[in-house]
Amino acid sequence: MWPVLRSRTCSLSSSSSQPSLLLPLWKRTFSSSSVIDGVNKNSVLELQEIEKVLTDVKADDVKVIPVPKHCDWADFMVLATGRSTWHVKNIAQALIYKAGNYATRGAEAKQKQKGAERMMLPSVEGQAGGKWIVVDSGRVIIHALEEKARAYYNLENLWTPETMQKDLTEEDLQKALVKVRRINNSKKRIEKNA
Amino acid sequence: MIQPQTHLNVADNSGARKLMCIRIIGASNRRYAYIGDIVVAVIKEAVPHMPLERSEVIRAVIVRTCKELKRSNGMIIHYNDNAAVVIDQEGNPKGTRIFGAIARELRQLNFTKIVSLAPEVL
Repeated sequence: MWPVLRSRTCSLSSSSSQPSLLLPLWKRTFSSSSVIDGVNKNSVLELQEIEKVLTDVKADDVKVIPVPKHCDWADFMVLATGRSTWHVKNIAQALIYKAGNYATRGAEAKQKQKGAERMMLPSVEGQAGGKWIVVDSGRVIIHALEEKARAYYNLENLWTPETMQKDLTEEDLQKALVKVRRINNSKKRIEKNA
Repeated sequence: MIQPQTHLNVADNSGARKLMCIRIIGASNRRYAYIGDIVVAVIKEAVPHMPLERSEVIRAVIVRTCKELKRSNGMIIHYNDNAAVVIDQEGNPKGTRIFGAIARELRQLNFTKIVSLAPEVL
């Protein structure tokens, strides 16, 4: 449930001092310790493992997108498509199972034993629906989407660097920031005159 | 500090433009909602020719509040407006893009979908 904090605590010794000196002071404390040479030091699942699991469960159209530098809250987005809601749920289940195995292997001790490392599981969102499930394992975020949802949200367009600037162009902004003068308190519907 | 009758801006492209909070979800007699809380709201104003209409009752997540948000490291964040993102019962956002800056507390409150659509995370 607290992926960021969790990932921070597990890597306190290794990488808390050195990594984010480039960030301004106000960003530094709460934000991540970033990737060191492409190796995820503090995510629950490794990127290779995720890809292996995704090929095992036959997820379609797997895409790994490195997140642009100015977004410091994650390093990689992994997108995968499932054929049905069941398939999407199974993809998420497989990833969680893998993370559980991984965590217990690292801990080598029983959960409640004193001094044992906490078992860390990624936080999962949207498992009830199965349209869009997000497995948030610290620095890597895995999105498992149904085909329709993937087309609807169009996440790769959002996160691919060259289209990112284009995405917030004038028409989008104007839609968001249309100035509206009248506040109509009456119960009647407003007549929209263009 | 969002309470029933508070008007909220909409921070996504779902088609709603103004919301009014009518209930806060959580406890039976909860007074105020803060960033990351789910409220029931009614659409007071909508963009024409979009799926969402005026006077429709929806759920929304508060993403920006005028009331300041305190972090344990002493950082304080407050925005100029109260804004929310329209979601459905399963927690999927109705819109496909989110505008404006979003606090990273939302990720810890299991709104990773909203955070991953946002252009900027504070």
